[in-house]
Amino acid sequence: MNLLDIRNLSIELDTPNGRVLAVDRVSLSIKEGEVRGLVGESGSGKSLLAQAIIGVLEDKWHVHADRFHWRGIDLLRLTIDERRALLCRDIAMIFQEPMSCLDPTTLIGEQLSEAIDSKQLSGYFWQRKKQRKEAVIKLLHKVGIKKHSECISSYPHQLTEAICQRVMIAIALAGRPILLIADEPTATMESTNQGQIYRLLANLNQLKNMSILLISHDLENLTHWTSTITVMYSGQFVEAGTTEQIFNKPMHPYTRALVDSSTKANLQLPTKSRLMTLPGSIPILQHLPIGCRLGPRCPRAQQTCVSAPKVSNFHGHKVSCHFPILHESPRKESQKHKALKHKTVKGNN
Amino acid sequence: MLTFTLRRISLFIFTMLVLTLLSFSLSFLFPGDTVINHSGQINATASELVQLNKAYQMDKSIVDQYGAYLTHILNGDFGQSMASQSPIRNEIIELLPATIELSLVALLIAMVVGIPLGFIAAINHNKASDNVILSLAMLGYSIPVFWLGLLAILVFSIGLGWLPSAGQISLLFEIKFVTGIQFIDILLSDSPYKWQAFSNASAHIILPACVIALAPATIFIRLSRAAMIEVLAASYIRAARAKGLSFQQIIFRHAIRNALIKIIRHVGLQFANLVTIAMVTEVIFSWPGIGRWLIESIYQRDYTAIQSGLLVLSCFIFIIHILTDFIYAALNPLARGNQHGS
Repeated sequence: MNLLDIRNLSIELDTPNGRVLAVDRVSLSIKEGEVRGLVGESGSGKSLLAQAIIGVLEDKWHVHADRFHWRGIDLLRLTIDERRALLCRDIAMIFQEPMSCLDPTTLIGEQLSEAIDSKQLSGYFWQRKKQRKEAVIKLLHKVGIKKHSECISSYPHQLTEAICQRVMIAIALAGRPILLIADEPTATMESTNQGQIYRLLANLNQLKNMSILLISHDLENLTHWTSTITVMYSGQFVEAGTTEQIFNKPMHPYTRALVDSSTKANLQLPTKSRLMTLPGSIPILQHLPIGCRLGPRCPRAQQTCVSAPKVSNFHGHKVSCHFPILHESPRKESQKHKALKHKTVKGNN
Repeated sequence: MLTFTLRRISLFIFTMLVLTLLSFSLSFLFPGDTVINHSGQINATASELVQLNKAYQMDKSIVDQYGAYLTHILNGDFGQSMASQSPIRNEIIELLPATIELSLVALLIAMVVGIPLGFIAAINHNKASDNVILSLAMLGYSIPVFWLGLLAILVFSIGLGWLPSAGQISLLFEIKFVTGIQFIDILLSDSPYKWQAFSNASAHIILPACVIALAPATIFIRLSRAAMIEVLAASYIRAARAKGLSFQQIIFRHAIRNALIKIIRHVGLQFANLVTIAMVTEVIFSWPGIGRWLIESIYQRDYTAIQSGLLVLSCFIFIIHILTDFIYAALNPLARGNQHGS
């Protein structure tokens, strides 16, 4: 069963020149126990989508959706407060730049303990404080912080980014979430720390069967940790499928370009030749192209691309393109080749 | 924390040195003889003048003269008032506490009223209440204080008769002078009418304190509104919302402390402004404070009094400034560590 099922979610921004469609009808579904990656360049609306799911966007953003189901409950029928109460219980989120997401004037221990719901504690009110502290220490151990007493009694600026991110994960785990949204959790970290954080998330997924929505711009790195991937470009849905489908047989020209631009794909290039990239850069919010937003940069674009493509489904591999790159199996290819040959021979005769 | 304290103390000492240098140079700049400006003895005989010249080392270099002046100041000898020929030191001890009392009460009123209003405006950002509070703040800031003082006397003392219009306390009560701060003296005294005196003194302070507090309060409204808007847009507030905290929890546990930190720094700066307003208000409400005394000295060309009055008032403002710095450090863990260049 789908844990989260979102169909055609749009996010609009109020600007002085009218409303701008920042995220244009994106669909996303997450199954129980799955790690789904959400990939796109910076500015492609990944973080917006995540914040819209958990409901912490500011008032200037307007969110619409055709369907927004959480574990079979239609969230669109609930009021905002009911929705928030439900989602904050079941979904937790960790952000980019963990240092700025912790209150600089409050001790780590306090910030952690206030995330623990008092319903989890048993006992009388005079026992609560001790239980709370024990729960905090347990959470810190869970995310791999051994020096818990030092960590509890320090302020965020006294800790490193990686420890802060672990604290953020601990705060997220305090509510015992079913889904964890990790919005570029390692954006400002060194690669050794990045690995630690990703391993921690993978452990949580395997041991606690927690679903994770992993947001990143780094497709190659993401393939190590995810089972399914959704690709976004400039606020539009591009492609979704299993990690193998996306990485080995991308059907959308944008995903193709993303895969080709990774360092691994560029290893065979001769020295001093240009790296594989798409021409141009991601359009700014004020000047979005009509139709498929990749249009001006797309190598396969044709006239029909000025209207937005519909999502087509190839055995669970969803792609939103008028001219997808179709990979056919080798057997089918040879059959086709044979048929073609046969035709030409016939023609000669 | 120790280095922080030492840093503040050294800053205080050096600032006071510069201030004494300024008041020292005023004696040369004011018309009249320098040594008479220093000491304030306008009717000195020839032999007394010789003595004064020796005491202030007027025959030696200017550095020695400054040293002698500094010694006098440090010994608490500010000279005599040219107008009344009584030692300035005694007058300051009598008058300064009244000003401290009035300005601190006014500061308290300004903060207690201004900061919560600013927070309310920020929480209801771009709504009607925000606009109402902001326009009231604008209006309050533009009212000149002397006009407001007179208007307040006209309405509340003469028209409605609720509050007394002048003085610190009714003359009926005899309160012995201990600290000079009226409320503390009343509490220390063993008069049987202690509490009547207390309520009378509070009735006297309300009107001038409110008049002084108006302009700073409007500034605090704007400062706290801006600080709160900034804090509410910060990513740790968004993270706290994602944590599942209610709006009240976010405001009371996270937002208010962080916003207060941003405001506290400005309190010291605003205090100088507040004391200036207090000086004018003291004249209007006949408050026996140092501000009124200083303004009278200016009218009477009492140069010695002007010098010492300026020195004492600026010292007081600076002490408040340092105190707010300490409160800032107590609230903000980031300021307590080793920071360079502050």
